[in-house]
Amino acid sequence: MAGVNLLSDQGYRIDGRKPNELRRIQCKLGVFKQADGSAYIEQGNTKVLATVYGPHEIRGSRAKLLLDRVLVNCQYSMATFSTGERKRRPRGDRKSQEMTMHLKQTFDAAIMTNLYPRSQIDIFVEVLQSDGGNYCASVNAATLALIDAGIPMKDFVCACSASFVNDNPIADINYLEESSGGPELIVATLPKSDQIVFLEQNSRLHEDNLSKVIDLAVKSCKDVYTVLDQTVRDHVSELSNSHGWDH
Amino acid sequence: MVDHAGHVYLPGELICNLKESEKTSKILVGPGLRQDEESIIVTKCGLLRFKEPNFYWIDSHLKRYVAVKGDPIIGIVAAKAGDVFRLDIGSSDLATLSYLAFEGATKRNRPDVKVGDIVYAKCMVANKDMEPELVCIDSNGRSGGLGVIGRDGGFMFQTSLNLIRKLLSSDCILLKTLGNGMHYECAIGMNGRVWVKAKSVSHTIALCNAISAAEYMSNEQIKAMCKKLTNALAGF
Amino acid sequence: MRETPLSNCEREFIRKALGERKRLDGRQAYDYRTLKIAFGYDRGCCRVDLGQTRVLAQVSCEITSPKQQRPSDGVLFVNVELSPMASPVFEVGRMSDQGVEINRILERCLKESRCVDTESLCIIAGEKVWQIRVDVHVMNHDGNLIDCSSIAAITALAHFRRPDVTVDGTDVIVHTIEEKDPLPLSVHHMPICVSFSFYEQGKFLLVDPSDKEEKVMDGKMVIGMNKHREICSLQVTGQMLLLKDQVLRCSNIAVVKVTEITEWIQKALENDRQARSNGERFGFREAVVMDTVTTNQMNPEKLK
Repeated sequence: MAGVNLLSDQGYRIDGRKPNELRRIQCKLGVFKQADGSAYIEQGNTKVLATVYGPHEIRGSRAKLLLDRVLVNCQYSMATFSTGERKRRPRGDRKSQEMTMHLKQTFDAAIMTNLYPRSQIDIFVEVLQSDGGNYCASVNAATLALIDAGIPMKDFVCACSASFVNDNPIADINYLEESSGGPELIVATLPKSDQIVFLEQNSRLHEDNLSKVIDLAVKSCKDVYTVLDQTVRDHVSELSNSHGWDH
Repeated sequence: MVDHAGHVYLPGELICNLKESEKTSKILVGPGLRQDEESIIVTKCGLLRFKEPNFYWIDSHLKRYVAVKGDPIIGIVAAKAGDVFRLDIGSSDLATLSYLAFEGATKRNRPDVKVGDIVYAKCMVANKDMEPELVCIDSNGRSGGLGVIGRDGGFMFQTSLNLIRKLLSSDCILLKTLGNGMHYECAIGMNGRVWVKAKSVSHTIALCNAISAAEYMSNEQIKAMCKKLTNALAGF
Repeated sequence: MRETPLSNCEREFIRKALGERKRLDGRQAYDYRTLKIAFGYDRGCCRVDLGQTRVLAQVSCEITSPKQQRPSDGVLFVNVELSPMASPVFEVGRMSDQGVEINRILERCLKESRCVDTESLCIIAGEKVWQIRVDVHVMNHDGNLIDCSSIAAITALAHFRRPDVTVDGTDVIVHTIEEKDPLPLSVHHMPICVSFSFYEQGKFLLVDPSDKEEKVMDGKMVIGMNKHREICSLQVTGQMLLLKDQVLRCSNIAVVKVTEITEWIQKALENDRQARSNGERFGFREAVVMDTVTTNQMNPEKLK
């Protein structure tokens, strides 16, 4: 879309944010009763639900059984009303399959898989409203859901996207900034050790700028982590108060 | 009488005038040849070979193995099921190997075999209607080199069956010449798999490549290659 | 079909060899296998050999109506087929995870990086545009399908010529080859994917892994780059935790490799162009070498 100025002269973006400012994150744990763990996250206008079942017996094909690790099974689905135009296929098209695979790889690396051999953990993610940063919000929601389910993980997994406009790296891009054709870098990290679990980049980005953009993305993941961390602590203290545990 | 041995034949050709054995006046036909009433028909494409006194067969280029009784085979353990191991031997079916077919194994004392291990075994039962069965002991109960191999290093690779037959034939000097230059041990399975172990990683890699490359080489070329190899490795 | 499982012995040996920085075929850690490019008789048909991995790409075009959101842009469609002839693991029908991965990486690398100018493919805005379709077929799988497919796809796109059109009011006349020379596609830049495989939890990496090395790896990174040092796509897969400087190191290596490969492609395109203009024989028939035994022949290996 020509003519859309993503970064104004004063340094403000279209939605009024500064370049390295994240969108507002609101999240909640334990939204469903049936699931072992569930979470709901809103990053700006992107709204994502995640549920976790497991670890439980392998269902479906026993051929996928892993003798020494748990099988992580993900499903990523976008609601038909989540995008501007009605989405014909909520799951099963190439982009969703790719997202599913990426989520699976991310959490394979983060969950302590050798604690539950010969079993399966299901992660289901549903995007209710998509305004850019689908993968990031899905990863954040799934992390919260896994924590809610009590599945041991090496660390939180936080994801954030970044882009590069007018020689400035910007963080947490929304749909408008995504579709304007600029480069998009998505990073999922373990915040405490700054290790990158997943890295994906679309569109053209010059190699010299790569370092700056990765740095900003990793730092934004840390910011996301502080928000998620706070939510989890609040949730846990609420639970422990109601159970009457001693602090 | 025309000497047919050493000629190339294509499937469907008839062969006549084969040499009969004096004693029994019979001709033994091997793989690649089939008897059709009075005549012998070729079924595979390749060279006709002859062995005294009356044995004819076709030597053809093969990659896939068909289990034959009495063959030593290298198999990879694919699964454990109850009392047997199931091994992949590169054939149409997984082969079975019982727990008790190891030296010194009893019902209490089970052999230490994990999924993914390589086993050097002999084929005991092999016909086209059943799964092949393997054993790791001979008729006296001794292992004689059979059993799990590769625990302490070495590398296994796959080649065509022709190369295996060539390596094992008496007029191939490859293994002996390589042995003159360096120390190594190897196990050759009739299903196309060869396990090699030498002193160091680079020796092993060089050995594997040398064996694979020797498929179409004549004896002189093999000698030259081995000399080059030992000179190059002398520096290690 | 069931694949032969990788035995523990092979796995440990390859890991040990990599620990001593030795590869099974004698390459260095950052070396590519021999790359061979051959063109077919038709324009846009190209076959790429990377060691034993063989991939065939064909570009074709037809006139369709454009997408609603972009009425004046042509359409580029990339499709990778993992044919069962390439490996016993691939099956016909529903695409496996690996197939989806390769398809998406190539799509991102070619489409979203705008390597082909889609606006020049427009004939009548809002009604008729060219749809360019790249079909990549994998014929033999010996590791590193992504690199091979990306080289084949971009070379085929550069080799392709589309028919010339004249617009006369609302009529569109497509000229045949005899009437007017076909036009090349406007390829802005050549994005090439370079694959890295990681071992020992990211401490050691290899470029262009072969089949056995791929089976043993911890994780993989694919960087799509062009020779102007712009990164067109980057993806880290596998259950591996990376640090930022590993990523930057890989992108530096990728720059060198991409420049080499782009030169190679340009040379091959140039050779083919000369052969065609001089009236020499060209096509796959010339690329097939006669009088040698082609199966199971190994080139004499260097022993280092």
